[in-house]
Amino acid sequence: MADVGLVRESLDEHKVRCELTVIPNGELAVRFFEEADADRRPWPDLVILDLNLPKKPGMEVLRRIRSSRVHRDVRVIVLTSSDNQKDREEVASLHPCLYLRKPSNLDEFLKLGAIFSRNLQHT
Amino acid sequence: MTGVDARTTVPFSIAQALLDDAPGAVVFISPDWSVAYANRRAAELADKSAREIAGADFWILFSRFEDAATKRRFSRVLKDGLEIEFDCEMSPGQWFQFRLRPIGNGLALYGTDVSENRIATQSLREREAELTDFLENGNVALHWVGPDGTILWANDAELALLGYTAEEYIGHSVKDYHVDPPIIDDILYRLANNEKLQSYEARLRRKDGSICHVAMNSSVYRKNGKFIHTRCFTRDITADKAYAQFQEHLVAIVNSSEDAIISQDLNGLLTSWNTSAERMFGFTAEEAVGQPVATLLVPEDRQHDEPEILSRLQKGEPVIPFETKRRKKDGTLLEIFLTVSPVKDSQGQIVGLSKTVRDITDRQRKERASQLLAAIVDNSEDAIISKNLDGVITSWNKSAERLFGFTGEEAIGQSVAALLIPDDRQDEEREILSRLRKGERTDHFETKRRRKDGALLDISLTVSPVKDSRNRIVGASKIARDITEQVRSRAALRKANNALRRSNADLEQFAYSASHDLQEPLRMVSTYTEMLRRKYGDKLDSRAHEYMDFVSEGGSRMERLLHDLRSFMQVSIAGEGRPPVVDSRTVLGDTLANLKPAIDEIRAEITSGPLPPVAIHEFQLGQLFQNLIVNAIRYRSDAPLRVHVEAVREGDQWKFSVRDNGIGIDPEYQEQIFGIFKRLHAAPEYPGTGMGLAICHRVLERAGGRIWVESEPGRGSTFFFRLPVEAPF
Repeated sequence: MADVGLVRESLDEHKVRCELTVIPNGELAVRFFEEADADRRPWPDLVILDLNLPKKPGMEVLRRIRSSRVHRDVRVIVLTSSDNQKDREEVASLHPCLYLRKPSNLDEFLKLGAIFSRNLQHT
Repeated sequence: MTGVDARTTVPFSIAQALLDDAPGAVVFISPDWSVAYANRRAAELADKSAREIAGADFWILFSRFEDAATKRRFSRVLKDGLEIEFDCEMSPGQWFQFRLRPIGNGLALYGTDVSENRIATQSLREREAELTDFLENGNVALHWVGPDGTILWANDAELALLGYTAEEYIGHSVKDYHVDPPIIDDILYRLANNEKLQSYEARLRRKDGSICHVAMNSSVYRKNGKFIHTRCFTRDITADKAYAQFQEHLVAIVNSSEDAIISQDLNGLLTSWNTSAERMFGFTAEEAVGQPVATLLVPEDRQHDEPEILSRLQKGEPVIPFETKRRKKDGTLLEIFLTVSPVKDSQGQIVGLSKTVRDITDRQRKERASQLLAAIVDNSEDAIISKNLDGVITSWNKSAERLFGFTGEEAIGQSVAALLIPDDRQDEEREILSRLRKGERTDHFETKRRRKDGALLDISLTVSPVKDSRNRIVGASKIARDITEQVRSRAALRKANNALRRSNADLEQFAYSASHDLQEPLRMVSTYTEMLRRKYGDKLDSRAHEYMDFVSEGGSRMERLLHDLRSFMQVSIAGEGRPPVVDSRTVLGDTLANLKPAIDEIRAEITSGPLPPVAIHEFQLGQLFQNLIVNAIRYRSDAPLRVHVEAVREGDQWKFSVRDNGIGIDPEYQEQIFGIFKRLHAAPEYPGTGMGLAICHRVLERAGGRIWVESEPGRGSTFFFRLPVEAPF
């Protein structure tokens, strides 16, 4: 959850005005998108997804998103500390996606706010 | 009476008286065939008195002569004046020899009683006929040869000997019948020169073409010194010759025998000694013959041999050939096999004995050697079996009994395939047999065999061809070792090894994951410390800032450690499998590109010599170059840094060197620098985790190479590492 704080800081840093919903694990994320598919919830404009999630892995959440009939084109940014080539390739196959590694340096992390902002504006 | 003139000095009456006394008959016949005078013996012949005879007619008086032929002969004497002689039987058995000659104008008839002569002549004739018969029909072959070499006569024995008829032989040249022409020339020459030939040997050709060996006695019959003919007695010695040859052969056999053949008399004195005896015992025949065998040859402990042999032979018992010992001239002992047989004279009396001696010293030695071998085979821990080319068992040692449970009796003669080989391995035996026929060995072949009780054994099998003295493969020897236990422990070892490898891999994976996962919380520590500093920095005092510096510093150091630890683990993880061949020049180029900022910052000069392709994972080689160059950068001296990288070929390896002009390494530490987290210098003067050279060391360990350093403190270091030209597995 510490990364959520950093994401929020980076959005603040770039004055991005948005509603941020935080889902704490993979299982809840999958349920969230099932409910959204059933129109009981609105679809987000941008999904920022960590691959290393409790309960269900982020990759499964991503596959669930991409299997949605209506909303499979939702913009997803994978933000992960994994440098695993296999993960990169799989994410690339579940287009459209951006694969970002979590910067270990605060300044770098805060710069991510600009990327989030750009992707939100495109919607 | 010669020189006495009867007519003048002797009166007729005296002459008449003398004539009457003469033993012979005397008659004077007048030309008119009247008897002028007849002496007393003549009157007796005529069976008349002297008075009655005178004037009587001769033919009436001696009617015995009164046949036409005699009358004619008498008349011819009277007419021609030539005297005649003739014999006449006057009465049975009474023979007279008469001479009739003219005297005066009449005839004188003198008669002499030759009855006794006649008997003598007759018996002479008979003897001659007998002799002739003997010559003709006796069994001594005889022939006469004339001076020109023509056979004048030959007897039946000679003709029978040679098989010719008289016509085919007599009248021909004797040379035609001799096998060796120079011989007959020599014979005739010798005879012509008055030599007598005795047992002169020659070879004659029989009519059937065979050769007849003869011995001839011959001399010349001469009459008045003149060569009339030879007289040649011919004796057939063909059989004698054959016998002599047989004897020569016997002698040759005895002399050429490998065995010593000796004979001795009943006193134990040696009487003969063949060539092998000379060779075997070292005594010449001269030295041995006449010597007592007991002192010459028999060792102390065998002295009882000789009397025993003799006593047995004299009792008529056979001597069974036996093994014993004899001494050579040089004193060494021979192991011999002795065969004894009696020598008997023509009456069957034992006069000595002959011995055949075979030297078995060598055989005994071989026998002992083979007994030793047999003992070794029998006592071997391994089962040792031999079989012929059909796979039939021919020998079976004790260990084979123990191992397979079959006794020798049960196994020998059985087929290996049927007795020992499990059904699913029958092909194996065919393969082994076919290799065997080609003369190939099968070495330490691991397989399974069945015991008598059906249990399967793991065995290691060595099969080698057995050859006979002519180098032909006649079978095989098999050495089978029970490796059931070995196979079991090997399987256990393999299992343990696999478990170890798995747990090792798990550990590596764990270490890798840990180094990775630890980074996450560390990143939080670093970034939130920074966040704290940025957002609330102005609200904190200087001491709090100092503490936050420690946190940041510790965090970044921890981060570097984790990074290097991850690289270290990655060397193993990324280095699995057979390494590809990579171009070390390209890898060095990539490394230098990565390090460009650091290199440029200190203006280091990095050069390289020839760099070959090598068999190693690219990641590993990159780690080597990177860590060695970073090392050079870190431990540089005050002088501008120069680094040179090159490789030279040494056998089937490449020797790489990375040479710098840095501070160098104390020889004391040149070994330990390759350990994990080993550092010789404290931060912050020389930053670093102590993992770099450990990573290098691990790379070389993985790649089948070696790394070491040569250095002199203050003058720089050269790191060397070797990599195989070809992949190591």
